Amino acid sequence: MDNLNTYLFIAAILFSLGMFGVITRRNAIAVLMGIELILNSANLNFLAFAKFGGMNMSGHIFALFVIIMAAAEAAVALAIIINIYNNFKSINVDEVRELRQ
Amino acid sequence: MNNLQSLSYYWPEIILTVTILVAIIADLFYSDKDSGKTALWVLGGLILAQIAIYIQDSEIVTTLFMGNLAFDPFASFFKTLIVLATILVIFISQKSSELDGHRTGEYYSLMAIMVFGMFLMASAIDLIMLYLAIEIVSIVSFILAGYLKGDLRSNEAALKYVIYGAFSTGIMLFGMSIIFGLAGSTKFFAIQEAMWNLEGSAQFAFTLAAIFILAGFGYKISAVPFHFWTPDVYEGAPTPITAYLSVAPKAVGFAVIIRFFNTVFGDSGAFIDPSIYTFTTIAWPQLLAVLSVITMTLGNLVALQQNSIKRMLAYSSIAHAGYMLMAIPTLSSQGVYAIMLYLVMYLFMNLGAFFVVIYVKSQGGGESFDDFKGLGWKMPIVGIVMTVFMLSLTGIPPTAGFIGKFYIFASVIKVGPQMYWLAVVGAINSVISLYYYFRVVKVMFLEGEPSETIIVPSPTVLMILFALAIPTVFFGIYWAPIADWVSRSLTLFIKVI
Amino acid sequence: MADLAFWMIVLLTIGGAAVVVLNKNLVYSAIALLFTFFGMAGLYVFLWADFLAGVQVMIYVGGILVLIIFGVMLTNRITSVNISHSSVQRGIGAVVVLGILSILVIMIYNTPWLQVEAVEPVQTVGKIGYLLMMDYLLPFEVASLLLLAALMGAAMLSRKSN
Repeated sequence: MDNLNTYLFIAAILFSLGMFGVITRRNAIAVLMGIELILNSANLNFLAFAKFGGMNMSGHIFALFVIIMAAAEAAVALAIIINIYNNFKSINVDEVRELRQ
Repeated sequence: MNNLQSLSYYWPEIILTVTILVAIIADLFYSDKDSGKTALWVLGGLILAQIAIYIQDSEIVTTLFMGNLAFDPFASFFKTLIVLATILVIFISQKSSELDGHRTGEYYSLMAIMVFGMFLMASAIDLIMLYLAIEIVSIVSFILAGYLKGDLRSNEAALKYVIYGAFSTGIMLFGMSIIFGLAGSTKFFAIQEAMWNLEGSAQFAFTLAAIFILAGFGYKISAVPFHFWTPDVYEGAPTPITAYLSVAPKAVGFAVIIRFFNTVFGDSGAFIDPSIYTFTTIAWPQLLAVLSVITMTLGNLVALQQNSIKRMLAYSSIAHAGYMLMAIPTLSSQGVYAIMLYLVMYLFMNLGAFFVVIYVKSQGGGESFDDFKGLGWKMPIVGIVMTVFMLSLTGIPPTAGFIGKFYIFASVIKVGPQMYWLAVVGAINSVISLYYYFRVVKVMFLEGEPSETIIVPSPTVLMILFALAIPTVFFGIYWAPIADWVSRSLTLFIKVI
Repeated sequence: MADLAFWMIVLLTIGGAAVVVLNKNLVYSAIALLFTFFGMAGLYVFLWADFLAGVQVMIYVGGILVLIIFGVMLTNRITSVNISHSSVQRGIGAVVVLGILSILVIMIYNTPWLQVEAVEPVQTVGKIGYLLMMDYLLPFEVASLLLLAALMGAAMLSRKSN
């Protein structure tokens, strides 16, 4: 169990699952969850490489910053969703599809 | 250079940080109506930062903060470009009717934070630093795109922007993690060194990582196929922000691509010998050439079908990213030179076109082609100036756009017959773009009823219009000052291997 | 014993992630995400990243997941906040993703990753602290600016009046 490839495979599976979530779901929050999986898979990669590269601490720092960014991004995304929610209460629901391809 | 020594080379950013804090605190003391005065603080700070950039624009080329940032004329060039774009956009924002009734203090403070992020992007030479810089710019862009809180279009634009932005940075991050695994370091130069010593079997992983990372960079410059967000965000966001997004982050996006690819997969941008690139089997120049062709073709073809001028400009900005990408696979200093020159020209003409759209809307007009009917007769000055911008965006002499395009095509053709196809595709695309840019001119002057009353814009509007239109014409005739500036700035921090 | 624990955690992580993307019900997805995040923290412990395991639990589970559940609750009331993004059919999506996964697996197998034999565990907290104050001082400081921007923006956007 304790070798680099095991961890890399887990990360690859998580990445693919996240990707699947992003491209097949339509709901914004479901897509956001898929993105969190992708970020986690990258973090697992960083930490695995850090350990098997001889406790290379740059990987830990990178993972730390990724977690910080993920939190900031989630906060902004939620603020935008709340804002849409506030508008929904006053505006007709049908109008939300204003932007189209 | 260590952290303490670096500070003396870091004046522009320090001034900017202080500006951000002062602007945020000053905004607390303004009433809702006066909140827009925050813009003055930000403007003042930006001018001071620009002076600091100008003063330190010297021969010194080094790295700062333990190898996190490069300090070189290349970075200074992009910083100046960003400051210029931001100052112009702050003026443009004053004239936008969309922002009326919104508290705009945060708007300007956030813009200053974005400038800081873009400064970092232009000079980062460490993956962690680069990732952080890209995230700052992205997060602030998300917020600014959704600034019109009561407007569902703006809300949805922001939501879409967050989703696509986070997705592409996620993929980029995965690519960075692969690179970290191969090189064991996050510093560009260490990665470059590792790249040289890699076994052949690692090439596949490196190629894959390059593609993943390109997803993140491509998203910033809205290159196809990472452009999905562009039309909707450009349409839904407040128009001054649309104008800003189409110019400043795109410019630094190119700075990042140039620095990253030439450093990590090349000879650090020394451009001593193009054959150095053959040491790797990674076909990134070919990859970027194909990307450039798809980007400009799709951008132009979809722009043809638009009925909203704002949306048409969004797609045309995708096409312009395609033209600029064309020069990267040349792997020559001429290519980089051409891109930098093009970015300067593009700044004026694109901001100009967007400003006309903003002004027409604030005068009770709209954003569609129908709303522009007869505009040339109703507002002759605006009509003529818009014509200049359209000519320039098409690339017709004697405008700045022509000079920009000329250098891009020249750098591509100079590489040799194997690149002629790219130049031909670019030329065909320019012809396609002629159609939709001229449609604007046609609608303005040949359609609709000639109006009785003539509207002359207010002096401030005229000032902004001319501040954008005069360089567009002037640099088309006499571009030597820009050319000088660009060639002086063509020095990247290099660690020769 | 450690082997068993490891594979249990792997199962928890990947199983959770699978439920997150496959389940149609958003609330179940959010709960499954909880298991994935905890599983990741467990894997971090196996990678000797004790500090990051703690951070993972605190920020991902305590922060991000709570935000996501809030989002789920709010959007459930308004039935859907779909982004107009051309989502693909599950079948096509599965094919695309399996393609990506197989490319990644081939890459992982064939690449000579940088590896050091016989690594000793170290105290990570001290080393991370040292690096944050030395090599990565600037990113550390800049992160505070980013959090300020996110804070301002989130407050501005979710505030009701203008």
